[in-house]
Amino acid sequence: MDSGYSNYNNSYGGGGGGGGGGGFMPGEMNNSPSGGKGDYNNATLRPITIKQALDATQPYPEAGYQIDSAEAASVCFIGQVRNISSQSTNVTYKIDDGTGEIEVKQWIDSSAAGTDNMDTDENGGKPVAKNQPELNGYAKVFGKLKSFGNKRFVGAHCVRAVSNINEVHVHLLEAAAVHLFFTKGPVGEAAPAGAGGASAGGAGDASMGGVDDYGAEGGRALPAMSPVARRVYNLLRTEPQSNEGLHAQLIAAKLSLPMPDVARAGDELLTAGVIFSTVDEQTWAILEY
Amino acid sequence: MSLQTPRVLPAHLHAFHTSSSTKHHTVRILGTVSALRGDTATITCGADEVTLILKPDSHLQMGKLVEIIGKVTDLNEGGIGIRVLGSTDWGNPADCDYKIYEQVVNATHKLKPIFYDE
Repeated sequence: MDSGYSNYNNSYGGGGGGGGGGGFMPGEMNNSPSGGKGDYNNATLRPITIKQALDATQPYPEAGYQIDSAEAASVCFIGQVRNISSQSTNVTYKIDDGTGEIEVKQWIDSSAAGTDNMDTDENGGKPVAKNQPELNGYAKVFGKLKSFGNKRFVGAHCVRAVSNINEVHVHLLEAAAVHLFFTKGPVGEAAPAGAGGASAGGAGDASMGGVDDYGAEGGRALPAMSPVARRVYNLLRTEPQSNEGLHAQLIAAKLSLPMPDVARAGDELLTAGVIFSTVDEQTWAILEY
Repeated sequence: MSLQTPRVLPAHLHAFHTSSSTKHHTVRILGTVSALRGDTATITCGADEVTLILKPDSHLQMGKLVEIIGKVTDLNEGGIGIRVLGSTDWGNPADCDYKIYEQVVNATHKLKPIFYDE
């Protein structure tokens, strides 16, 4: 067991700090499955409706916003501009897409290259970028969910006018598709079987309890993985095994995959914290209980 | 919660009438302006038509694709129409695939959790 434990630590690259420090890393993953990776690795731009933005939840104060129990670091949406208020440091838009209304703040960065034609005095010194949103016209907003006091708003990277209605429709369908992806799982993949399916389905209501979280983590983290990693995970979940788990070579044989691929998939799953190495670094079991 | 304006098709109008149980009576609908009669107009939405009651500052143009936001109401001549609160001109109807709009409407009403409150 000792060796297994140290392997476990090594595989996280946690290193130093002795037993206490080593144990902290997996514990942290346990408590905030998507917190850490969301901040640094999740650059996903998620298409949403404004209702989803208003309904987004924070697992704990100061945490990133979650929609359908999945981190929504950056979001985009399309709506009609109901109000534009230009201040010296920012422009605030009120955007309405039929599902709700939200404020969008875009900070004016005088040094930004994005606001290209700043040079002109003919426009009274005002920056006039292309595709500037108009009052009551449609606009697409790219930004991050924020809140100030109790008020939710979007810190926008970019707000641009939309001139083709098909773009509006595609966006709504995209938002619907992504919502279904996170709630029902990827297209063309059988719904996660048994316990996995149940806990993934209940992820929205699941408390932050350790076991529940891992079940949810399995159901939720899979979409962000390579197909090979997903296959390895599914094999580990379904294949009868002792509590030592399965050896990488056995997995390779069962899935008819080359060893390097399996090793890479194993690394991916280890990093995601959904499996752990048992008797040696090549033997993995699902991190569930 | 701010005002929601569900996207609809002509066939759904009765469900958003003031007499129905829904709390949404203000809807969005997309159509091509096919008749202008002073204070009323008709838009063609795929195979169906909807009568609009205009407000004095509605500026609809014949043959243009418009998105109407309005309140579902009874018409003087019978039937259900929409009292226009706002309109957005989307230009040439040929630039929009109306079939996609129909699918969008269907999707939005199937997936209430992300689009509209019950």
